[in-house]
Amino acid sequence: MRPIWVLALNTYKEVIRDRILYGLLLFAVILIGMSLALGQLSFAEQARISANFGLSAIHLTAVALAIFVGSNLVFKEIDKKTIMTILVRPISRLQFIIGKGLGLSLIILTMISGLALVLVGIFALLNMTVDVRLAWVLLGLLCESLILLGVTLLFSMFARPILVVCLSVGIFLIGHWQDSLAFFARKNPEGPTALVHWICRHFIPNLERVNWKELVLYDQPVNALVKAQAVGYSLAWYAFCVALATWIFRRKDVG
Amino acid sequence: MTEVLKVRDLKKSYKRGFIPRSTLVLKGVNFSVPSGSITGFLGGNGAGKTTTMRCMLGLDFPDSGEVQFFGGPLNEASKRRIGFLPERPYFYEHLTGREFLQFYARLTSSWNKKILDSRIDDLLKRVDLLFAKDRPLRNYSKGMLQKIGVAQALIHDPELVILDEPMSGLDPDGRMYLSEIIIETAKRGPAVFFSSHLLHDMERLCERLVVLKDGLCIFEGTTEAILDRGGVEFEVTYLAGGQKNLRRITEHAQVQPILKKLINDGAEIVEVRRMRSSLEEIFVKMALKGGKK
Repeated sequence: MRPIWVLALNTYKEVIRDRILYGLLLFAVILIGMSLALGQLSFAEQARISANFGLSAIHLTAVALAIFVGSNLVFKEIDKKTIMTILVRPISRLQFIIGKGLGLSLIILTMISGLALVLVGIFALLNMTVDVRLAWVLLGLLCESLILLGVTLLFSMFARPILVVCLSVGIFLIGHWQDSLAFFARKNPEGPTALVHWICRHFIPNLERVNWKELVLYDQPVNALVKAQAVGYSLAWYAFCVALATWIFRRKDVG
Repeated sequence: MTEVLKVRDLKKSYKRGFIPRSTLVLKGVNFSVPSGSITGFLGGNGAGKTTTMRCMLGLDFPDSGEVQFFGGPLNEASKRRIGFLPERPYFYEHLTGREFLQFYARLTSSWNKKILDSRIDDLLKRVDLLFAKDRPLRNYSKGMLQKIGVAQALIHDPELVILDEPMSGLDPDGRMYLSEIIIETAKRGPAVFFSSHLLHDMERLCERLVVLKDGLCIFEGTTEAILDRGGVEFEVTYLAGGQKNLRRITEHAQVQPILKKLINDGAEIVEVRRMRSSLEEIFVKMALKGGKK
């Protein structure tokens, strides 16, 4: 466990000391701040629109971190040859991937927590009640970021960062359209949409399973069992992607 | 003398090009490194030195062959006993010198903070970087980065230090300093195995040499032995008829008869010098001809 933790902390430091992160954070804070102004446009739904906009800002920032930083996570180590000084130490390639992934996950967690505090401030300004449902929504965002990070790590084993970003964004979009795809597949069970849906359902994660924004936006009750299953679903996807990435990485020349 | 590294029949090919074609880079490399020695790894560009090192250390996967460290395969235990500096490395620029060494030390050992800090200070002093310990690596010069790179290879007290082109790109001062670090490291006990293009430094530092050409090992032995391959010449300076003359003698057996003859002819011998080809001259000859063990 120790090497994983050491690698994770180094990755954490590396990203936290990178100016790009602060650019992204500033962008997110501005978006969340704008949610106040945007809410004013509505006659009766100011709080809901502000909450929706604020949560979407956190969502996009977390996803951008997972995809854009994740696509460079291993590539940069190979490109700059820093990986050579690490893999000659008593560290397995599995530990390396897990350590890098854990470091970035911690960054995403920190970022979500920080932005959530800003959002809570906005909610306070709007006299909105903040309860445990917000924590569930944020957990859902973390789960989605984890899935996308796993997918990005997997793609980065055989593609360059720009292609990895394109593929991961594709997974992000399809992952959120799965329910719509299922709807059209039900309408026309014999058509090509049904086949596309079948493929997507089996090979692409359904990111709507961890999209729980409606808990806060529409005051819906929490079904803990369903949510726990969705967390398990996310972790399983992450573990699967990391295992497959490691399988490829173990066969890859890194010199 | 026990061997800390043994490489047997190492072969490696790479697939390159749009329609991948296999190129055999290592064609069966054999050599060994005895404990406590400074062994130089010599070869022209593309000879396969870096590929050999990567295959040895499990960074690239060889097609076939065997690599043994300390009498066994490369595993967690043997990795703890090896220090490595790759060619032209870029390090984590976000870390300071101290954090950088802490990171590598923690990956390899479980020293407590007090021991680790004193070890890092010692090492930074040894490589003359104590003054820059709290400076981020992005502000280090190339020479400083090379020194901190060597320090990361030494941080866990390895028994075998492998350095890939450690002198590359350094100015004469930097090379001299690094040479001293290599000599001092070997004096402390570990074997040092390093590659370099700088033959003068190799000749000065290494007790043993391994020469690679086109993916094959064409020489393995002591530096003396390779220097003897160039043969020995004698240069006689003498005064005859009021003029200074120079005569080269290529055969050792001819030295005495020629000197006697010169003296009998009334010449005054000023100097007799034993001349040996430099490693550079011998290496160029070997590289042009190829050579046999």
